[in-house]
Amino acid sequence: MSKIVIPDSVLKVSGLGKIYGPITDGAIERTGSQVGTARDHQTGSIVAAWDVNFEVAAGEALGIVGESGSGKSTVLRCIAGDIDSSVGDVRLSTFENGEANLLTLDAATRRKMRIDQLSVVYQDPAEGLSLGVTAGGNIADPLTAAGWRNFEGIRVRARDLLQRTEVPLDRMDDIVRSFSGGMRQRVQIARALANNPRLVLLDEPTTGLDASVAAGVLDLIRGLLEEFELAAIVVSHDFSVIEMLTERCIVMHHGRVVENALTDQLLEDPHHPYSQKLVSAARA
Amino acid sequence: MSTAIATKPILDVRDLTKSFVLHNIDGRTVTGLHNVSFTVEPGQHLALAGTSGAGKSTLLRAIYRTYAPSSGEVWFRLSDDSVVNLAQISDPEIVALRGRQIGYVSQFLRAQPRRSVLDLVIRAGVSRGMNVVDARELGILSLRRLNIGEQLWDVHTSVLSGGEKQRVNIAAGLISPPRLLLLDEPVSALDPENRESAIQLISELTHQGVAVLAVFHDLDAIARLATQIVVMQKGRIINNGPVDQILPQLHPGDVQP
Repeated sequence: MSKIVIPDSVLKVSGLGKIYGPITDGAIERTGSQVGTARDHQTGSIVAAWDVNFEVAAGEALGIVGESGSGKSTVLRCIAGDIDSSVGDVRLSTFENGEANLLTLDAATRRKMRIDQLSVVYQDPAEGLSLGVTAGGNIADPLTAAGWRNFEGIRVRARDLLQRTEVPLDRMDDIVRSFSGGMRQRVQIARALANNPRLVLLDEPTTGLDASVAAGVLDLIRGLLEEFELAAIVVSHDFSVIEMLTERCIVMHHGRVVENALTDQLLEDPHHPYSQKLVSAARA
Repeated sequence: MSTAIATKPILDVRDLTKSFVLHNIDGRTVTGLHNVSFTVEPGQHLALAGTSGAGKSTLLRAIYRTYAPSSGEVWFRLSDDSVVNLAQISDPEIVALRGRQIGYVSQFLRAQPRRSVLDLVIRAGVSRGMNVVDARELGILSLRRLNIGEQLWDVHTSVLSGGEKQRVNIAAGLISPPRLLLLDEPVSALDPENRESAIQLISELTHQGVAVLAVFHDLDAIARLATQIVVMQKGRIINNGPVDQILPQLHPGDVQP
């Protein structure tokens, strides 16, 4: 028995799968990394993700890498409940004592879970924010959903969060559409943190931002993950993002997890043929 | 200097082999380490010698699990005296040990935008259980000793010169040192004066009982720091013994990077 103390997992994902289209016998065998496609040629169904398993602890960020269409965002969206999953079991230790499978929640319970347990930061701020609403209003939203009623209290909390995410406070009452890409992303992060979630899902959080702006947002995210001991999943096709934010990661290819490794090990000693191709392409 | 009491090794490497299968280059296999075995005890400084490509850095990386060992065992003694096989334990267990019980100081400081020099060193100390006040005090002390002046303490590490980065890396790596330190050419970019200060700091580790496994590219550093020398060639250990026994047999060409 090893005596190494490791933090308990907050999120446990087992056997997660998502298939678009009819599920027929042999669909799994006719798709995947080895076959070289996620599309079942017999039925046209897409096996977007299959047999995905991992755990994430508090204060830990897990990376998911892979090219576009590999299934990494599908996994994130299944966990968040943005799309229905075909199969699997996803548990948050902090929600219903870890006894509820997030994938089978009814709509009302899922909404409740999304208020203070799990937040998503999307690549496109338009997905996570109401662009026609002020920065302050966007943060007030999840707060009122969580039962905050005191206007001044909400203002104070919004101000704190915007300050923490380095959004100039004199822009608090401007509509988000007037903000730059980097600042929109900071508002989205502030909103995601409003109710102290235990798990944050980050989907390409810096893609599309200028390099210098991206570096600032990344640094902010890293600081927040540390400060609030958050469990996080970071989906990115950019290895520098994964390297900066995560200690462990999984590699996806045609809907399957092909490698599960320490992040530095994936970059220095990738094992799977696809991982080797991906890493050498990123290094070139 | 030998002690009368036999100490238990903190690191016991047995038949460690590391092969790389290059799937995209006709699937060929390249072996970087062949059946490497040796031990390191607390307070020992074991220097790895050998020409370029001998496998010195590969060995450090395989112990730290940056490379996944192909076969063999890497027994590491925890602070509670139990032992674990670093080649087999889970990734989260490796993450839990890294930085806290096993440190790795490379030639290069990992770029951390917007993190100040002093903050980086303090965080390293805190991650190994120091309180912020002590970490700050000790951090300042070692930055001073490494000739990193006060005007650089609040500067972001990304704008430092190569030599400055390397010295910050040493300060962060050595503050409240982990029980096993892997050093991969930590003073390669330093001028003679700064190199001298760094070597002085590293030599103190041995007196603190830290086990050090190091790669240096000059015999002078090895002569001054090592208690043991392991000589490698083509991924194998060809000689292993106390410094006074092995050093006279080495030539400067034997430790080229």
